[in-house]
Amino acid sequence: MSTSANQRSRKTLACTGEATAYQKAFGQELRRRVVDEQEPFAIAQADTPHEIFHAMDIPIVSNQWWSAYISAKQLSGRYFDAMVEKGYPANSCKYCSLGLACTLAKDPASAPWGGLPRPTVLVARLTCDCIQHVFGLWARELDTEFFAMEAPAWEHKEADWFRHSHDQWERVYQPDRIAHMVAEMRDLISLLEQRTGRRFDEAKFHHLMERINEQEGYIWEAAQAIGAARPSPVSIADQMPNTMIPQWHRGSDWAVAHARKFRDEVLERIAQGGGAGSNEKLRLMWIGAGVWHDPGFYQALEERMGAVFVWSMYMPFAGPAYIRELQGRPMEALASRIASMNETLHLPPWMSGWMRAEAERCGIDAAVILLPPDNRLSQSGTKLTAAALEEAGIPVLMIGADMVDANIWDHDRMVGMVAGFLQDRVAA
Amino acid sequence: MIAIAGPDIPRELLIASGRDAGPVRFDPDRAPGRAADWLESKFAPWAMPVLDAWAEGAYDGLEAVLFSRSDDTSQRLYYYLCELQRLGRIAGPEPLLLDSARIPRPASLARTVERLRVLVQRLGIADAALEAAIARTNAERGAGPAADDRPACLLTGTAPPDGRLHAVIADAGFRPVGQTLAEAWCDRGAPVAEGSGDPVAALGRWMHERPDGPRGFRDPVASLAAGIAQAQARAVVLWRVEEDEAQCWHLPQERAALAQAGVPALVLTRRDWRGRDGAGAEIAGFLQGIAA
Repeated sequence: MSTSANQRSRKTLACTGEATAYQKAFGQELRRRVVDEQEPFAIAQADTPHEIFHAMDIPIVSNQWWSAYISAKQLSGRYFDAMVEKGYPANSCKYCSLGLACTLAKDPASAPWGGLPRPTVLVARLTCDCIQHVFGLWARELDTEFFAMEAPAWEHKEADWFRHSHDQWERVYQPDRIAHMVAEMRDLISLLEQRTGRRFDEAKFHHLMERINEQEGYIWEAAQAIGAARPSPVSIADQMPNTMIPQWHRGSDWAVAHARKFRDEVLERIAQGGGAGSNEKLRLMWIGAGVWHDPGFYQALEERMGAVFVWSMYMPFAGPAYIRELQGRPMEALASRIASMNETLHLPPWMSGWMRAEAERCGIDAAVILLPPDNRLSQSGTKLTAAALEEAGIPVLMIGADMVDANIWDHDRMVGMVAGFLQDRVAA
Repeated sequence: MIAIAGPDIPRELLIASGRDAGPVRFDPDRAPGRAADWLESKFAPWAMPVLDAWAEGAYDGLEAVLFSRSDDTSQRLYYYLCELQRLGRIAGPEPLLLDSARIPRPASLARTVERLRVLVQRLGIADAALEAAIARTNAERGAGPAADDRPACLLTGTAPPDGRLHAVIADAGFRPVGQTLAEAWCDRGAPVAEGSGDPVAALGRWMHERPDGPRGFRDPVASLAAGIAQAQARAVVLWRVEEDEAQCWHLPQERAALAQAGVPALVLTRRDWRGRDGAGAEIAGFLQGIAA
């Protein structure tokens, strides 16, 4: 049984509330467009080229955002139970399947928006063994098409990829992989043009890519400042929404302006000497997706132990994973952004190399790694990353829990586990 | 010599190069050693003993081991091995990865052929040798199983580590039909086009069109029905392990298909790959019930 406290997180910056308010309004607008107006739309994984949809003004529902939305409404347990009742194994991968579970439950009374209407297409990269099956089933349930994208093998390995990804992206991400990704994106554009009647405008796309670079540059600047500041001006409770919400809208006027505002507020807070916690003693790193059903978890030990989660992947990822010198080839630059988004977070040497460097950059005292029991992709690379961090003198705690499944989460037990770990391995 | 550790790898490659060592050998029942420090729990269970054997030098006599992107554990293990070698934690043969793009679109076919061509060049295989290997394996494909009057029992789902479940089926008086893991990795499937003038493209097409497995695009229910028909099965054991992340998504449809087929079926899911959970006894009991 879940004993998730679902405590709200405490936000420090004014812009954080503005971001969540914008997203709430956007959710209502998206609902109006796809449910009320029945505009064509897509369901897309987070690691697919959203830029193409943005450039074509085709609304997208990100599977991860939708999962987090369902999870935040404390509905994940209900839908996973419904999926098991329909004969699916209880140990199936949770993160990518919550949307499918919601659809399978066929319960418009409880489902957000009354459930998703029929999308024009579902899009996912095949980064694991389950995704093509989940999206294939989901497409069938929604009576629509699934456009799968390859996750091509990556044989060129640079552990310090993050130092070169913005301008040496062709070498880092392997030219043949980029070329393949471009071919797939051209296929996707053709399909979208046929299905929606909307056109892909190269000039608009080029401008969008430039704006995304500007936006992610602000986020990266703020990430650099947070890593260097003592105390950390904000915890990940402020970092995540101010990074992710603009990223869902990347390149839009609002997203660029908001990223700039976020950076400015962070710098201002640093100048004033303000900290996320009133008494920062321990700087913690969170490795893994956010625990969306219990955001208060991250701040539970700030006052008691001075333990502040100053790092999660979302914000610092903005620099190396998103910023791309266009070099007159925006489609190839986008391909290099998309081709390895997942791999760099879940496979050695990219994951371990980056996270160790980030821990050192940010003066991390200890790391907590999420280890979802039923998700190979999310588990991947965690032990080698833990070893790399320990080798660098950073104690690591691995916790078995799931980012969206509240059924196996116990707030008090998890907080107690982290507190015990910090007492035993760090504070002692 | 080069061994394989994954599915959908055309053996013609290694035969043509004169370096075919077959599937990598390992003891599925060994207790986890150092590999448990590196690998997470959700990997397919063969990965742990392979990594342990690798770390102990069991494969040092091999030149390389070829992994496959057709299987998630196979491709992830490749990255782990490369990293562990880079860090100096292990030695052993060179890990290689054959990219296999299976999406039924021309771009994926082109990708598969291109990457296969890179590997062929790297292994120094001439077209003539590849063409000869294709002819040889096609001839072997024609050889059917020996005549057997026993009623067939289709063992499907996860490929077991060896013949331990097959033996249970045979002991119950049935003819087991189903592949072990090594057999699945070596499965020849459909014939490869001969005399095409481009044997690499022919093999690439064979890879791209492989219908089944976690990355295959054939309807799994259709695959199950075809398996039952081809084996003329009088019984079906659908057995899947705890670590399966792919085919388990089709379980409701498979149950419905089995009910519709009218063939007695035993469905065992989330099971122990080594069979330490009593699966053998359950299968024996099921088949004895049918025989009675």
